[in-house]
Amino acid sequence: MRWNLTILISVVVIAVSYGLYQLSYEVQALEKNIGKVRSEILVNEQAIQILKAEWAYQNRPAAIQELTAKYLPLLLVAPYQVVALRELPERQMDPSVKNIFGVPIPRTKPRFKRIPEIRLPNGALHMATYQLPRAE
Amino acid sequence: MGAFYSSNDGMDKAAHRSSIQLEGSAKETLEQGRNRLVVAGVLFAFCFVILAGRLVGLALSGAGLSRTASEQNVSPKAAPIPLVGRAPVYDRVGNLLAITLDTVSLFADPTKVLNADDAANKIKSVIGELSSSSLVTKLGSKRNFVWVKRHLTPGQQQKINDLGIPGLFFRNEEKRVYPLGPLTAHLVGYTDIDNKGIAGVEKYFDEKLSGKSGAQAEPVHLSVDMRVQYALRDELSRYMSIFRAVGASGLVMDVETSEILGMVSLPDFDPNRPQDFPNNNKFNKTTLGVYEMGSTFKTFTTAMALDLRSVSLRNGYDATKPIRIAGFRIRDDHPKKRWLSVPEIYMYSSNIGTAKMADAVGPKKHKAFLTKLGLLRKPAVELPEVGAPILPPRWNSLETMTISYGHGLSVSPLQLSTAVGAMVNGGIYRNPTILKQADAKIEGRQVIRKKTSDIVRKLMRLVVEKGTGKKAAAKGYLVGGKTGTAEKAINGRYKRDALITSFVSAFPMNNPRYVVFAMLDEPKGNASTHGYRSAGWTTAPIVSRLISRIGPILGIPTIDEGSEKMQRLMHIPTYSREKKLATF
Repeated sequence: MRWNLTILISVVVIAVSYGLYQLSYEVQALEKNIGKVRSEILVNEQAIQILKAEWAYQNRPAAIQELTAKYLPLLLVAPYQVVALRELPERQMDPSVKNIFGVPIPRTKPRFKRIPEIRLPNGALHMATYQLPRAE
Repeated sequence: MGAFYSSNDGMDKAAHRSSIQLEGSAKETLEQGRNRLVVAGVLFAFCFVILAGRLVGLALSGAGLSRTASEQNVSPKAAPIPLVGRAPVYDRVGNLLAITLDTVSLFADPTKVLNADDAANKIKSVIGELSSSSLVTKLGSKRNFVWVKRHLTPGQQQKINDLGIPGLFFRNEEKRVYPLGPLTAHLVGYTDIDNKGIAGVEKYFDEKLSGKSGAQAEPVHLSVDMRVQYALRDELSRYMSIFRAVGASGLVMDVETSEILGMVSLPDFDPNRPQDFPNNNKFNKTTLGVYEMGSTFKTFTTAMALDLRSVSLRNGYDATKPIRIAGFRIRDDHPKKRWLSVPEIYMYSSNIGTAKMADAVGPKKHKAFLTKLGLLRKPAVELPEVGAPILPPRWNSLETMTISYGHGLSVSPLQLSTAVGAMVNGGIYRNPTILKQADAKIEGRQVIRKKTSDIVRKLMRLVVEKGTGKKAAAKGYLVGGKTGTAEKAINGRYKRDALITSFVSAFPMNNPRYVVFAMLDEPKGNASTHGYRSAGWTTAPIVSRLISRIGPILGIPTIDEGSEKMQRLMHIPTYSREKKLATF
C-alpha cells in the first residue's frame, strides 16, 4: 500500500514536471515568436510611413493637374456646372401613362439611401505584410 | 486482582495503539505537537484544494471566456499605432503635410580608417556631391567621430556598404519629409537636420510634435485645405508671372471661425531642401510682412463712420478739390470733381471723401476703432513668424486722414483679412487661427453693429458690381470686395513706380462664408491691362478666378447673381447728385 502510494506520487511528479517543462519551452518559443512579430510590425510600420509619404507625394494637386492636362481634354470647371444632387428636380411622371405598374420609375433619389456599415469579421485579424526588398 | 487486571487491560490497549506509552509532561508535549501538525496539514490541504480548484476552473472555462472577450475587444477596431519619432502634420481633411521617415546616415571613425585618400576617393565615387578635399581632411583628422553624409538613400547605403571601407559606420536616423513640397512651405515650416523645428508650425508646435516634454508626440491638424491652398498658389503664381511682380501673397479665411484655409506667400521654397533657397523666399509675406494696404482700409473708415453714426448713407463730402494739409496734398486716383455720397466715395475709392469722413470722426475714436479690429497689435496666431504693425509716431488729424485710406499704418495681410472678416460676418471679431477648430461656436467680440455689417456687405458688392473692382466678379457667386493700390515706401519716400496692389473680398455676399485676399508686390502693367497696374486690373482678376475655382470645392451653392431677387437683396441706393444730361 505504502509502496503503491510512493510510486503513484513519483509518477505524478514526473508527469507534472514534464508538463511544466513542456509549458516553459512553449512559452519560450512563443516569446521568441512575439519578438519576431514585433520587429516585423516595426518594419511594416516604417514601410507604411514610406507608403503614406509616397501616396501624399503622388497625390499632389500639381501632379494631378498635370495628369489631367495630359490625358483629359477638360477645361476649368465653372461653378455653375457643379450641381448638388438635392438641386436636381424630382422626376415627373409621364401623364400618358395610366398606371405605374411595369414602368421602372425610381421612387426615391439615391441621396437618402444609407449605406450599411460593413462589419469586420469576428476573430483575429491578419495584417497584410509588405516585404521590403532585402539587401543580399 | 481485578483492579490489576483492569489496569493491565488498559495498558494492553494503549500498547496496541503506540508501542511507547509516555506519561506526564512528555505526553502533553507530544499531543500538542501532533495537534499542531494536524491543524497545519489541514490548512495547507485547504490552500492546495483551492489552488487546484481554481486551476481546474480556469482550464475548463476561464481561458476560453477571456479569449473571446479579448477577441471582441480587438476585432472591431485596429489598435492605435504608436507614433515613431516626430509626429506628422495633417491638413483639415487629413492629407499629409509633413511626415518622419527612417533614413541612414554615414559617419566615420577616422582613427580606424586606414587610408584617408583612398577612402575619400571611393566615397566620392558613390556620393558625388561631397568635395574630396574636405573628405580627406575629415577622414585624416584625429577625432573618433565625423559625419560623412546625413540621410543617405537606400541605394547609396548599399554601395557604401559594398565598398567595405573599415572605419565607416551607419547610424539610423529620422528625416522630416514634406510630400507636397513648396505648397505649404510657409505654413508648415521646416526642421533642421536634427529634426528640430525652426520655422512655421514645426517651430511653434515643436514640443507637441516631438513629444519632448515627456508627453506622447501628437500630430497637428491644421485648418488649411490642401485643394484651396493649391488653387491659391496656382492662381497667384500665374498672375505673378503675367504682371512680372516680385512677390505675391494670398489668404483664404473662414469668416465664422477665422480659420485659415489657404495661406500663400510667393516666392516660396521647398522645405525638403531649404538651404537651396535664399532667405527672401523664406519670408512669410502674409503674416510677417507688414504693408501700407491702401484703399482696402476705406472699408474700415466707412464702417466706422456709419457705425458711430457720424455720417449716414445719404450724406457725403465734397471731393471737388484735393485737400492740402501740413504740406501734403490728398488727391483722388479716379477724380470725379464733385460732391460724392458715402456709397460713391467707397465705390469710386475717393481719398478726399474718406479723409474727410475720418476727420469728422476724429483721431481718438479712429484709433480706438482700429484697436478693436486688432490692427494696431501683433495678431495672435499659432506661428512664430508674426509681424507687428508699424504705427505712426503720433496720431493726429493728418495721420487719421492718411490712415483712413491706408497710408501711414502698415499691417499684415493676415490682420487685414481678419478685420474684413469681422466687417462682413455680422460684426464679430475672432482671432485668426491655423488650427482646425471643433464644431463648437468660437467666441468673438462684437466690433460693429449687425446693421452696419449688412451695409458694408452691400458696399463691397457695389464695388465689384459698378466700382473699381469689376474684374473680381465670378459667375455664380456674389463677390464683394475692395481694391487697394499703395505706393511702396522705400527709405521713407513713396516710390511712384513700385506699387503694392491688393484686393480683399468676401463671398457669397448674401451670406459671407469666406474672405479671400490677394496681393501683388510691384506688378507691371502689360498690353492686356492697357499698361495699368492698379489693383482693379492686376489683383481683382486673381480673386475672380480663385473664387470660381474654390467655390465648388468648398460646397458653396451657386446663384444667378444677375437675377432680380439678388439685385434687390444687394441693392443699395447711391444717392448720387451727378448732373445727368437734361432730357426734353
